[in-house]
Amino acid sequence: MEGNGEIEGDSRKGVKEMEIERIKSIKDLPPEENVLPGTPTCAGCGGLLALRHCMKALGKRVVIVNAAGCFTLLSIYPFTPFKNSWLYTAMACAPAGAQGIRDALDILVKKSRLDPEEDLKVVVLTGDGAAYDMGLSSTSGAIYRNLDFYYICYDNEAYGNTGFQRSGATPFASKTGTTPPGRISPIGSELPKKDLFEIWNSHKPPYLATISPAHPVDLINKFKKAEQYKGPKLFIALSPCPPGWGIDSSYSVKLAKLAVDTGIWALKEAVFGEVKHTVVPKRFKPVEDYLKEQGRFAHLFKPVRREEALNKIQEMVNEYWNRHKLLL
Amino acid sequence: MLRLRFHGRGGQGVKVASRVLGTAAFLEGYYAQDFPLYGAERRGAPIAAFTRISEEPIMERGVISEPDIVIVMDKTLLYDPRIMPVSGLKKGGIVFINTPQSPEEARAEYKISGQIITLDITKICLDILERTILSSLAGAVASKIAGLREDSLKEAVEKVISEIVTDRVLIEKNIEASLYCFNAIPPVELKTAEVIQKGSGVITMPFETAGVSSPALNATGNTPLRRTGNWRVFRPVWNYDACTRCMICVARCPDGCILVNEDGFPYTDYDNCKGCLICVEECPTKTLEKIREVHAKKVIGK
Repeated sequence: MEGNGEIEGDSRKGVKEMEIERIKSIKDLPPEENVLPGTPTCAGCGGLLALRHCMKALGKRVVIVNAAGCFTLLSIYPFTPFKNSWLYTAMACAPAGAQGIRDALDILVKKSRLDPEEDLKVVVLTGDGAAYDMGLSSTSGAIYRNLDFYYICYDNEAYGNTGFQRSGATPFASKTGTTPPGRISPIGSELPKKDLFEIWNSHKPPYLATISPAHPVDLINKFKKAEQYKGPKLFIALSPCPPGWGIDSSYSVKLAKLAVDTGIWALKEAVFGEVKHTVVPKRFKPVEDYLKEQGRFAHLFKPVRREEALNKIQEMVNEYWNRHKLLL
Repeated sequence: MLRLRFHGRGGQGVKVASRVLGTAAFLEGYYAQDFPLYGAERRGAPIAAFTRISEEPIMERGVISEPDIVIVMDKTLLYDPRIMPVSGLKKGGIVFINTPQSPEEARAEYKISGQIITLDITKICLDILERTILSSLAGAVASKIAGLREDSLKEAVEKVISEIVTDRVLIEKNIEASLYCFNAIPPVELKTAEVIQKGSGVITMPFETAGVSSPALNATGNTPLRRTGNWRVFRPVWNYDACTRCMICVARCPDGCILVNEDGFPYTDYDNCKGCLICVEECPTKTLEKIREVHAKKVIGK
């Protein structure tokens, strides 16, 4: 695996980073809407907000390959909120579907049956269940083969579509459908969240980033930067889920901001494996500010305060930022 | 046998309402069944749940297509041709509608035959529970109409709600709200007769290939036709005196329901705004505020 990365990496790293035109404020966001209203997603869906901004960046010339999850409900026959094509796959194989479409488009271009100007971007769209668990191997394969595609993971930290069961993305101490706080495990989920960013980054893809629906300017600039690379361009969006997280629908953006401000969700990017943080809070808020707003962490505060678990979460965050020498 | 059907939206507690009723009936010594219709359960989506109550063991299974009592927890569903909450209601059956309207007003508006009972349980819920999870309240209304006792309802709410939440205050408030609703509903007499279903309700369709059986549909971006605007409990309303055209609301709306007019002022697409109220929460100048949908005028100028 590693050896291959080095060989591949040498030829790929030759790409010189081009200057990109960055946007500076919310007023500069692209005005065109490529995900239209009327979708069946919950009111206040953080994932949909992230997707709306991603699709602003990607434009209309796109094919979405959607693994089973909340967002497969976006396109239920005869309705679709998209202006582009859309393919539905099973949970584990969206990157394989993307390979097929990419190959077909390449062949059409090569045979002059499709004008290169008319070519489409292939975009995989999955939730955290498909990205962190079931689709991990097919994604690894697609990155390994240097498939030219985008991957957008809307990460709401559990299987939100089926009743919020624990996934590999579920953080330590979260209540989920399958980790209810009780006599045996009073803190809920005892396992920490998988570090998918590092798993994907070990393949040294051309572009990889974490994004947040509350930071659309950062999000758009990351897509602009990604656009210059051929090969896998991967994005993980932390997506507040009102029913699953136990928050009011109006709090989605507030929670997405708090996740960044407390240091729980690090906004960063990696180009061929080189990690750089793009948004670092000037002063980190205590993680408690983020946790206490959410029903899925309510058991850490009532009926008794779970000091040990709260400290552990803060320590995990401190350890992360210390390791990256960014904790002030 | 008594058959009840609940209609509401995901997040209102439709399934739990049917469970409260079923539990109350069971505690009173009846045989009972309660279950939701499984499908795409999510906040705002139309949800149906069912309860059967009988003195004999219940052998009947599946959804209830001919109910004695229909509980409508969200009145906007009465206008939804895909849901048709009162369809199949037996002659002499009872319809409960969650609305501030009187039964006569509701009958005139929705053209429903049969007995109508109304009560604004959303308001009661907001007053007592400070949220719009109507499960124990709708369960209480159904228990009263079904002729169950107050003490069985109280016990059922305690049992069902404490399986979901541990907060004692919240459980007590649920009991308070449900008893209030139980007593606010006048005694009613159900006049439906037991009918024996003749034959099977299953229709056999001949097999056709997809080219024949499904229409070709090449439209894109057509979800705005679905009009998710009727999901709202609260409506965001604008006071443009304070608006600085900062565009934060436009960037924060998950559904892209905030548009911008020629003068650069944002406005809401009320046809599809789901009422998540992120715009109200995020607006830095408090240009937006929320009002309950039932108090809003039919159309507020864009």
